[in-house]
Amino acid sequence: MLDILIGGAISGAIFALISVGLNLQYGVTRILNIAHGDFLMLGAYVTFFFFSSYGVNPLLTLIISGPIVFFLGILIQVTVFRRLVYLSKSAEELEFRSLLACFGLSFIIQNVVRLIFGITPIGSPYLNEAVNIFGETFQLNMIVAAVISIAISVAMYFLLCSTRAGLVMRAAVEEPTGAQIVGINILKVHAVSFGLGAFLSAIAGSMWSMIYSDITPYKGPIFTFIALAIIVLGGMGSFVGSLVGGFLLGYIYYITYKWEPLLYMAVVYIFLLIMLIVRPKGLFGK
Amino acid sequence: MMNKKLDMWKILPFPLIVIVLAIAPYFLSVYYLSLLRTVILWVTLSVSWHLFSGLTKYVALGSAAFFGLGLYFTAKVLNYWPVLPFPVVVLLAGLLNFAAALLIGLISLRLRGIYFAIVTFGISEIIRVVFQWWEIRITGTRGTYIPIFFSHQETYYSILITSLAILLLVTFLRKSKFGLALRMIGECEEAAAHAGVNTSIFKTIGFAVSAMCIGLMGASFTTRFTYLDTSIAFDSLYSFLPAVMTLLGGAGTPYGPVLGAVAMSLISEYLSVTYADIFLIILGVVLVAIILFMPNGIMGVVEKLRRAELSGKG
Repeated sequence: MLDILIGGAISGAIFALISVGLNLQYGVTRILNIAHGDFLMLGAYVTFFFFSSYGVNPLLTLIISGPIVFFLGILIQVTVFRRLVYLSKSAEELEFRSLLACFGLSFIIQNVVRLIFGITPIGSPYLNEAVNIFGETFQLNMIVAAVISIAISVAMYFLLCSTRAGLVMRAAVEEPTGAQIVGINILKVHAVSFGLGAFLSAIAGSMWSMIYSDITPYKGPIFTFIALAIIVLGGMGSFVGSLVGGFLLGYIYYITYKWEPLLYMAVVYIFLLIMLIVRPKGLFGK
Repeated sequence: MMNKKLDMWKILPFPLIVIVLAIAPYFLSVYYLSLLRTVILWVTLSVSWHLFSGLTKYVALGSAAFFGLGLYFTAKVLNYWPVLPFPVVVLLAGLLNFAAALLIGLISLRLRGIYFAIVTFGISEIIRVVFQWWEIRITGTRGTYIPIFFSHQETYYSILITSLAILLLVTFLRKSKFGLALRMIGECEEAAAHAGVNTSIFKTIGFAVSAMCIGLMGASFTTRFTYLDTSIAFDSLYSFLPAVMTLLGGAGTPYGPVLGAVAMSLISEYLSVTYADIFLIILGVVLVAIILFMPNGIMGVVEKLRRAELSGKG
């Protein structure tokens, strides 16, 4: 019982971090980034590269993988999505086109990584000694990852709620036209938010690869759908929803994974479907 | 008089194309025959997908579920109930898909836009994962063999005949009141409802017919395989490519999906032969480039050129 309570919370913290990034991108830019999980995979491969080639401490690679993928995200937003927003006449058209563009991007990212690193699963195992918490044993890296995830999520919350940059972002979400009138460069805000989402995803990926050695170039979509299930559960565009949804799905994932590892993705999808049909706005949606 | 003549010229190419396709096995090598078969497969899948998603603008990304169900059902029946003639099995697979899609449509068609796309994709993934789980945990075997050997010609004809039947059905439906209703839903669902179209019934049946066609194609495509497993049958490419091909050709036009499917499958074939390792990367780049630079597809470019020519003359 305690195992589920703590294990679920650990998965939940990491999941929350994954979904906060996707939610930020969707909330600000209105583009649902289906390639989100591929940025996570990319982060894991950056860590793996520096760990296996130069012996860099995997935890330290967080400060490399995050910025690299951050700039990649900005580059993609500026070159692809900015033009898509410009081309599309309606919100529906933008949604459909950006969905297909993300699918293409995801194809490119996956296959470039496959070309460089091959398809053998990789990982950068670090801090995998056992720790005893109230009689249950957990790996130290899981706890470290959970703590870092919570710290980053809380930092994001403060960034959004009590800094000028956060105020600008929230203004761009709530009143895009008004924000432009008062002098906010909305193109810049979109680019930075997209990059920030990719950044969070990459950090989650780096930490994931310290714990599990199961990252392959094609692992991304699973994370995309986990993140998607969480933001649908919590409510699209709701930060608190992402956190609560992350922990809820963390528990669901942990319990089903213990029960039948082959079916955990099916359960995630079923949960996503039920949520979409019963309450598409999500728990915290407006 | 003039009109009749024009119509003749419009209709004349179709019987010619059918005749050429029907005698193709007698003058094409095995390689080109299988290429032609692939092109026919993708054209039919795109046209079937377009019947529902192109007209109503409800973008479904779950074709793999129906294609895979068609394949799996046919393979299983050929194994366990071999007395049934093959065409009957294909028709049964179509019916099964129609029923399955009715059920899925009832659940998912209450949602619109990106939510509908996510749900249909999710459902196709659930079906794949559950099949895989069933094979590994319950039956203890992965995949299934196809007990009958089909020659290249038999494969080709089974696909060609199914495809022609589907294309006829889709053309007929598109020109009927049914197609008009679907198109109205795509233009403005509320207005369609006000005009007396029962939108939920039309959407659900449109979705089911489109799925049935995809399933029929899957069933007849079983002849190409000697072995099948869930990752082959429910490959998510079957969900995405019909949408991509339609977009390339131009959604909302009758020939868009056909042109897009022909162009895309030929490009993929050329790339996969010439640049095998980077083929998928180039495919991704091509996809992004199409979306960025040809947002209305090939038909959009054709239309633009035609307009430029007209205005030049005027």
